[in-house]
Amino acid sequence: MIRVKNIDKSFSGKMVLENVSVTFEPGKTNLIIGRSGSGKTVLLKSIVGLHNIDSGEIWFEDVLFNKLNFTEKKEIRKQMGMLFQGSALFDSMTTEQNVRFPLDMFTNQSMEEKIERVNFCLKRVAIINANKLFPAELSGGMKKRVAIARAIALNPKYLFCDEPNSGLDPITAILIDELIKEITDEYSMTTIVNTHDMNSVMEIGEKVVFINEGKICWEGSNNEILKSDNEILNDFVFANALAKQLRSSQL
Amino acid sequence: MRFLEQLGLYIILLKKVFSKPEKAAIYYKQTMHELVFLGFNSVGIISVISFFMGSAITLQTAYNTENPIYPLYLIGLGCRDSIILEFSSTISALILAGKVGSNIASEIGTMRITEQIDALEIMGVNSASYIILPKIIATLIFNPILTLISIIIGIIGGGMAGTMAGVITLQDFIYGIQYAFIPYYITYSIIKTLFFAFIITTVSAFQGYYVNGGSLEVGRASTKAVVHSSILILIFNVILTQLLLS
Ligand SMILES: Nc1ncnc2c1ncn2[C@@H]1O[C@H](COP(=O)(O)OP(=O)(O)OP(=O)(O)O)[C@@H](O)[C@H]1O
Ligand SMILES: [Mg+2]
Repeated sequence: MIRVKNIDKSFSGKMVLENVSVTFEPGKTNLIIGRSGSGKTVLLKSIVGLHNIDSGEIWFEDVLFNKLNFTEKKEIRKQMGMLFQGSALFDSMTTEQNVRFPLDMFTNQSMEEKIERVNFCLKRVAIINANKLFPAELSGGMKKRVAIARAIALNPKYLFCDEPNSGLDPITAILIDELIKEITDEYSMTTIVNTHDMNSVMEIGEKVVFINEGKICWEGSNNEILKSDNEILNDFVFANALAKQLRSSQL
Repeated sequence: MRFLEQLGLYIILLKKVFSKPEKAAIYYKQTMHELVFLGFNSVGIISVISFFMGSAITLQTAYNTENPIYPLYLIGLGCRDSIILEFSSTISALILAGKVGSNIASEIGTMRITEQIDALEIMGVNSASYIILPKIIATLIFNPILTLISIIIGIIGGGMAGTMAGVITLQDFIYGIQYAFIPYYITYSIIKTLFFAFIITTVSAFQGYYVNGGSLEVGRASTKAVVHSSILILIFNVILTQLLLS
């Protein structure tokens, strides 16, 4: 369980997050949705400590994470996996080396054990015969999947995904969403996914947090989201023509 | 004000770089990689440039001392001392600031904007130390070797140019480069090289590590890396010369 309490975050005087409080439950895919520039990435990076927050508290179970020093944070970070908006694979390493990296860094396993784990993770995300390829030789969707494999290499308790399906075709996007949900269920992780894709919301949004201009504007599940009378949320949810038509035909 | 802020950030970064490494074996592997990448790959350019600079220095010394009072071997001596004292440490450092410095800044800058540094941090890896420390160690080890290579090839170039242009005989040149040789000059040159290597690597890494924005900023950072480290090299050249030779 991750609890965020009253956090503020600004960049050189410009408020990006304002008094954000939210709880993310274990074994669930928690979605943060909102328009571009609303502060989703900043919120996610604040939670994992890549941004220092101005004020507020971030709790991982019963540990006050944002007050820990680097060494103490490290212990908790070993339980985190993160998928970045641009995949963030290490350019100078092959697929295999990328996925093996956390194992090299933090375990004392033998090479055979590590390779076995790498192949298991790669197979889990349906990447085969690409062990020796470099990131530049992979497609966007493959990069995301390799990045997921790297994120789950150490069996994390927490998984963070920043726009896992942006820039992908609708079918691949859904595959990635489903993969994230399956992995979450399989290992009962606490997963937080940033997205602005309504398909993802309907597909995997067990818990959805809608953020607007740095403030939490609505919380609920994908079953509730279509019935909400929150106007800002409705503008977001029914932004595209198809959704609008659907809604007017329902009314 | 801005300068002090930058200096503060630079010192904070160095503190992060020199904290205890996570896993020695991985650092060793990275350092080996950087030795080849930043060191060995510069042997070619340093050799070529040293050869021609040595030649030019010899010819200039010869044409500036066309006076029967001066014994010919002074040409060899002049060539040797210019190369050891100034050329092989300072000029080579400036060239390496251009080659290695821009390389380091753009590599680290790209890692920053593509979130690879964030990816390291989130895993619990000290990104500054993991990326920068092997580069510092590699250049501290290899740049003195480059300086020695530069000295040797510079002098060979000088000897060849001098004899081929007919301004000096090989015997005189060899006599000259051995005449009144002060071994401390080599030490001085190596000490300077170590300072310059540290400047090039850390200043360039600093520029790359704090890139904010996109690929344009990476380009800007790598230009800044070259300019700032070159200026610092020239300033430290004066300071170190005063400290070491006076
Ligand atoms: N490092 C930074 N320095 C200054 N401002 C920043 C920084 N990172 C983000 N911001 C600002 O914070 C706001 C929120 O950005 P954020 O990246 O969180 O948006 P987002 O919701 O993730 O958008 P997108 O869906 O496009 O990824 C933006 O106005 C942005 O300009
Ligand atoms: Mg974002």
